[in-house]
Amino acid sequence: MNIALYKSRLLRFQSLIALFILCLGLSILSDKFLTVSNLWNVMRQISVNICISTGMTLIVLTAGIDLSVGSVLALCGAITAGLLKNGIEIPSNNLYIGFTILGAVLAGVLTGSALGAFSGFTITRFKVPPFVATLAMLTVARGLTMLWTQGFPISGLGDKFLYFGTGWFLGIPVPVWISGIIVAVALFVTNKTRLGRYIYAIGGNESAAKLSGINVNKVKIIVYTIAGALAGIGGLLVTSRLDSAQPNAGISYELDSIAAVVIGGTSLSGGRGSILGTVQGAIIIGVLNNGLVLLNVSPFWQQVVKGLVILLAVIIDKSNSKND
Amino acid sequence: MKKSVKYIVFLAVVAVVAYNSVYFKALDEVKAGTSSFNAAKYAGEFWTARLIPALKKSVSYNVLLPLLQTEKDKAFEQYSHALGIGNIRYFLVKGEGEVISVDENEVIVRLDSAGQRPELRLATEYVFGNAVRDASGSLHINEFENSMDFNNVSAEINKIIRDKVIPPFRSKVKKGDVVSFHGAIELNREYLDLKRVEVIPVELRIKNEELRMKI
Repeated sequence: MNIALYKSRLLRFQSLIALFILCLGLSILSDKFLTVSNLWNVMRQISVNICISTGMTLIVLTAGIDLSVGSVLALCGAITAGLLKNGIEIPSNNLYIGFTILGAVLAGVLTGSALGAFSGFTITRFKVPPFVATLAMLTVARGLTMLWTQGFPISGLGDKFLYFGTGWFLGIPVPVWISGIIVAVALFVTNKTRLGRYIYAIGGNESAAKLSGINVNKVKIIVYTIAGALAGIGGLLVTSRLDSAQPNAGISYELDSIAAVVIGGTSLSGGRGSILGTVQGAIIIGVLNNGLVLLNVSPFWQQVVKGLVILLAVIIDKSNSKND
Repeated sequence: MKKSVKYIVFLAVVAVVAYNSVYFKALDEVKAGTSSFNAAKYAGEFWTARLIPALKKSVSYNVLLPLLQTEKDKAFEQYSHALGIGNIRYFLVKGEGEVISVDENEVIVRLDSAGQRPELRLATEYVFGNAVRDASGSLHINEFENSMDFNNVSAEINKIIRDKVIPPFRSKVKKGDVVSFHGAIELNREYLDLKRVEVIPVELRIKNEELRMKI
């Protein structure tokens, strides 16, 4: 009885335990790891992953997946930067439409929402598997980013815009505030609203959810739209932090995002998991990335290590599912 | 009634947000206020005023190669340039050797360097990247308003190479010719690979062709 209790408690806190061991190991191996500036740097970096992983969690909870978040992030960042910097020129009417920061940011986030909604629509309307639909969107969004930027970075976006990615508010980096607010809202939605209950129900058993009167397609489209919007916010943070929208931004971000979700204990088969788990997963991935850089590990080996960590997390997830 | 109030509030919010999001101006007015950057002109001036004079400082590959093999860090410190702090760095090099192969994309030249016979590839088809712009070390991003202008200059430099440097050389060069070159190479400081070095040419000469013309 006691062993079963300990085991269940251990499983509940497995991400936290992994994070603790990781931090302990890194603080022993590198004297730079536990410095205040490095920890804030890690928090800034993981803010982007937390944004997109929050959306990814909602999708994975419905037993879906979104491989396009990295490309959507790049496109949204490029749209925001392009509109802010260059506006829209309509020579035939001798008209220039300029965008304020609010307008450019909204346009970027709305672009992400629209692409997410489109993915959701193709998945629900045409029964395209999420893997394929979002893989297609990955290519489409990357291509659109290249077209929009002509393959060149868009830089020099102004000091006010940089505040989103590099500013501080009440002693905490602004990106951390933004990701914190997103997490708080997502926690509220998943735990306290009807939409949250529907998301878990669909992931748990889609047929049962349908039979109990849930509009499954509508919920899925909403979830993909939210994930797209959050990728847009991620794009805003990356662009602001670098003062530049890079056409190659966000490459492999989807993998970090999926890794954070899985490491955080969300089941890839849906219906089980939590936003807080994903936050822990994102912190683990961020700390791991940071640690590997501090330890001067070759970038090629970094990928190998990250891949193995994801594999380990999936194996643990599968083993947990069996036990359940 | 309740629904209509909701719609009115929603529309009001949208209107306020839209009003604060965009502004309209006459395009002429905007264009007049901004000086447009001419990357082609800038690249042309850079080519004649800075790059060609910088070729005098380019290191002979016969000198660079043994130094890279024995004192890599010294070679990078002394002769390479780069904008960032990464491992990819650029060298302005010169050399002379015999053409051993001419194909669609490159001309392979064998140099005679201190007993070694290294082969260098002169790019004659795919000229991309920032090697030439960055190798001279005389062009800095701070000179530009934004990185797009900076990158456009690189694209224009590559265009000069594609349009003016390569065609006269490409049309005459053949296997067995002795050629001399000035150009830029890219090397990775961390993972140095000297087996396949590609030169983006800035100046190309066929030595035996010159000899024939003199005769």
